[in-house]
Amino acid sequence: MGLTACGGGGNGGGGGGKVSGSTLTVYSSLPLQGASRPQSQALVNGMKLAWERAGKKAGKFKINYVSLDDSTAQAGKWDPGQVSANARKAAQDDTTILYLGEFNSGASAISIPILNRAGIGQISPSNTAVGLTSNDPGAEPGEPQKYYPTGKRTYVRVVPKDTIQGAAIATVMKQEGCKKPYILNDKEVYGQGLASNAEQSLKAEGIPALGNEGWDPKAPNYRSVASKIAGKGADCVFLSGITDNNGVQLTKDIAAGVPNAKIYGPDGLCESAWADPKKGGMPTSIDSRVECTVATLDPDKYPPEGKKFFADYKAKYGEANPDPYAIYGYETMSLALDAIERAGDNGGDRAAVIRELFNTKDRQSVLGTYSIDVNGDTSITDYGLYKIDNGQIKFDRVVKAKGASA
Amino acid sequence: MEAASVPARTTRTASLDAARRLVSHYGLIAVLMILPVAYGIHDLRVDGDLSRLGENLKDGVSNGAIWALVAIGYTLVYGIIELINFAHGEVFMLGSFVSFSFWSALGLTLASKGAGLLFGLLLTLIVAMVACGGLNVMIERVAYRPLRNAPKLAPLITAVGFSFILQNVGLEWLGGSQRGVDDLIKAQNDLFTIGGVHITHADVLAVAVTVPLVALLAWFVTRTRLGKAMRATAQDPEAARLMGVNVDTTISLTFLIGGMMAGAAGLIYALYQTTIWFFQGFQAGLIAFTAAVMGGIGNIQGAVLGGLIIGCIQQISDNRIGGEWTPAIVFAYLVLIMVFKPQGLLGEETREAG
Amino acid sequence: MSSAAATWRGLGDRIRELPRPVVWAIGAAVLVLLILLPFAYQPASGFIDDCVTALAYVVMALGLNIVVGFAGLLDLGYVAFYAIGAYVIGWYGSGFFAAIAGGKGLHVWAESAGALPGIHFNFLIVLVVAAVYAALAGMIIGLPTLRLRGDYIAIVTLAFGEITRVFAINGADIHPFGKDYPLTLGRQGITPIDPIDLPFVKQFDPLNLRPWYWFALAMVLVVLFVNFRLRDSRLGRAWIALREDEVAAASMGVPLVKTKLKAYATGAAFGGMSGAFLASYLNTVNADQFEFSFSIFVLAMIILGGLGSIWGVVLGAVALSFINSRLIPDVLNGVPHKVGLNFDLTELSFGIFGFLLVIMMVLRPEGLLPERRRQIELTEGVGGDETLYEARA
Repeated sequence: MGLTACGGGGNGGGGGGKVSGSTLTVYSSLPLQGASRPQSQALVNGMKLAWERAGKKAGKFKINYVSLDDSTAQAGKWDPGQVSANARKAAQDDTTILYLGEFNSGASAISIPILNRAGIGQISPSNTAVGLTSNDPGAEPGEPQKYYPTGKRTYVRVVPKDTIQGAAIATVMKQEGCKKPYILNDKEVYGQGLASNAEQSLKAEGIPALGNEGWDPKAPNYRSVASKIAGKGADCVFLSGITDNNGVQLTKDIAAGVPNAKIYGPDGLCESAWADPKKGGMPTSIDSRVECTVATLDPDKYPPEGKKFFADYKAKYGEANPDPYAIYGYETMSLALDAIERAGDNGGDRAAVIRELFNTKDRQSVLGTYSIDVNGDTSITDYGLYKIDNGQIKFDRVVKAKGASA
Repeated sequence: MEAASVPARTTRTASLDAARRLVSHYGLIAVLMILPVAYGIHDLRVDGDLSRLGENLKDGVSNGAIWALVAIGYTLVYGIIELINFAHGEVFMLGSFVSFSFWSALGLTLASKGAGLLFGLLLTLIVAMVACGGLNVMIERVAYRPLRNAPKLAPLITAVGFSFILQNVGLEWLGGSQRGVDDLIKAQNDLFTIGGVHITHADVLAVAVTVPLVALLAWFVTRTRLGKAMRATAQDPEAARLMGVNVDTTISLTFLIGGMMAGAAGLIYALYQTTIWFFQGFQAGLIAFTAAVMGGIGNIQGAVLGGLIIGCIQQISDNRIGGEWTPAIVFAYLVLIMVFKPQGLLGEETREAG
Repeated sequence: MSSAAATWRGLGDRIRELPRPVVWAIGAAVLVLLILLPFAYQPASGFIDDCVTALAYVVMALGLNIVVGFAGLLDLGYVAFYAIGAYVIGWYGSGFFAAIAGGKGLHVWAESAGALPGIHFNFLIVLVVAAVYAALAGMIIGLPTLRLRGDYIAIVTLAFGEITRVFAINGADIHPFGKDYPLTLGRQGITPIDPIDLPFVKQFDPLNLRPWYWFALAMVLVVLFVNFRLRDSRLGRAWIALREDEVAAASMGVPLVKTKLKAYATGAAFGGMSGAFLASYLNTVNADQFEFSFSIFVLAMIILGGLGSIWGVVLGAVALSFINSRLIPDVLNGVPHKVGLNFDLTELSFGIFGFLLVIMMVLRPEGLLPERRRQIELTEGVGGDETLYEARA
């Protein structure tokens, strides 16, 4: 209990510490109830796959994986109390080596400071909010220092932050001849942050957006929203949000209400539940007008490692086209195990594993080759542009995000 | 009880009351007309015609027709046992789920046309109505009847409990994501255009199912023996029992009718929106409850009127103000209406509102 | 069921019949046990965490009980006061308004905040401000409902709750006091919030929950004391008279407007205080917390506990809070694994929560510990509760 005593001292001296013994625990903390369940489930599937493929081992250590739920039955989604409880649970466990999560950026803002005090490394599979790692445009005042009470960084992520994808989307829209773009966002941390980054990038590209407006995820339909956008003469609409915030209905209504406009989606939409009518996605009749971006690349260009992932995923879960979050989940766990392995004999030393996380250089992964910078951000700047063909998401080309600094 | 409060009034309050009556009469009309009139003038100045406002109102009416059907269930149940049936939205949600599963089982797809499609959907309508009606009766038996003599708020909590259970059923049934369903009726295709307003298949469907159902219900409640028993029970359960009305059967009947309306609404919703999910009932329930209160709770015509008004406010707000503010606008309207007319638009001075 | 209920009632009566000093002694012993409880657990134990949350919910439930249980005004928008209390500490106890005083920050009696930017008031000041703001909001929300009765009050309060939520979500785009001062931070959430900082005590720490527990316990004791004093006061009797029969109460000289507004304001003030505490404890103020379902959650606590009964409400709040934060996630979810099934119970947990609500309510319709006034009527068989509510109507 040396750890908790240290935290209890209130000076937040960095915690850290070594795990004695040869068994380490990796926790994940994701919302397993309510509307985010499908993505969380995909993430957990990916993490489990990576863990099992590694033989539940990293280096000379045996790894336990514990999936925690950061949502509650009453709220039906992530709950700040549950997030803190999970982070404390990990902080209290003497065998904890890494913590994977949270799914929501707002939730990570709560667990990062707790884990930071306890000196436990954290990898998020999905947070894109700029301010968690840097003070680039889009961050709030005081970010990111306010999340790291010890002053040392303990948090990395495998998804690029919003600035990169916002620039990539703007680049695509410019390339494809958009003159009057319009942005809708779901008012979540992800959707809203990405929307404001896209808005800035569009302005930089010389095609400022006609509007950037929130949509209500609980609204039954968006016909009047669509007719308003049509009334303004928009020729391209960027839907900055996730499928589970009524993305399918929104896409259908915009396609019907703004005839001839092109529709763009970010990686939060680019999944089979959005594109494939057999899985509850949009009708194939509008496929030709819709495109989306994901940080993952052409499956054919993947390193052998990546190809194997798709084959294994299909074998285990029966899905040829895994949800992008399954890929992120897989890579999150792989990176975790890799860092422990690279720490060698010090794999049980929390501080050493955090050092190795930040030392990640030119890692070949399912997401492509990337490094982790001093802020904990991934160096990936290439985005894959995908078209929809008869309900299937098909890789089209690589987009280099212009003006985005990695 | 109204009689009891009259002697307490002095002349000063009488003149105040007169002023209040005036305000409540015209203030209400003014409140209701603010948005349409303001935007109508705006449209005439900017576009030169009223087609944009017409489009908003048309969308509002067809969306509102769905809310109206759900609201009827709230209002009937409230009228008879004074319970806010929070599980009702979930019954409506399961109506959509039953409809979708049933028409898929029938083999209706995008390719279905003409008489086959019509017949299949009619069959689906009947199945959805029966299923939801039965479900609602079952809920009453299990969760509300044992609490008939309990404190008034106790069944409110079992209702909430059941709404959680039914949501979980929906989650297990079709998963946690919204699910797009086949657009069987080409919902957004135009049927015809009047005065620049496009009337789509979906609009016609919503109105064509709602109007006959509401008419039938009105006839049932006012003209038939069972309907009269329902009204009698709503007014005074004890007296109705003494007059030979079987109160338990009548309450079951009320839940059956409310559930059937919700089932019909569920089918229209699935065809109209072409997306369904396990959480749709929560928001729909909130809106429909609001509609029922706005119209005067316990009053069927009021529920329909409330549903239509809320539909219109939603569409105008989505179109002019921004979707993210729509819930606030709807509820602000509700508060205003309650201020001007505490018993709802068509509500009488009932026991509750007196 | 009836025999079990009778045992409960008998127990309650027996405690009441004991001589006063004995009752006081038992109370003191229980209190000492509660104070010592954290020492039986590790400082960051999950159990103590659940206790802190439960205590904060007890404060909320006691507040709502004043409005619904005492005064009989069905409030479905209680979450609004949670939100207001939380945003008060978001504004006056975090780095949210970083631009204030040219980035140097504004500190009032808050040494631990050092030179951090933003407004940092001492937590005790924040607590008072939260109570005052919430009470004002309670009165504003109460005004349009003065002429309404019964469930019409419910829908208007529900409406205000939803309007508050929409403002919380969209507040990042509202700048009432200039560009650098938005109203809220929407779903991004204001994080971190200042931990509680009391004079003579070290600043509270997220990895040592004991001080949080004691502070929450102290809050509960204060609120309990106020509740008992209010219930037995002239105002408390006016509330109950109002609940039982508004017309009769008015004709006996109870000022309706004042009495109702005082109920709203007092209930809201407790909600605001608890909201400020929870925001500091949870370290965030996020618009996603302020959903309608939270109002229902707190309402379920007081109805399940026994409307109007102070000890019943305490019990109801503790029970539901523990079901939500401990029984379902920590106990039930482990069951399939223990019996060797590879089955994930999280996907059924809100159904289980609903099922428990239904079962508990059906088994004890008048609540776990019914109010004595109501209990007497029930046991004497005076037409059960009907008399209460029919009389009110």
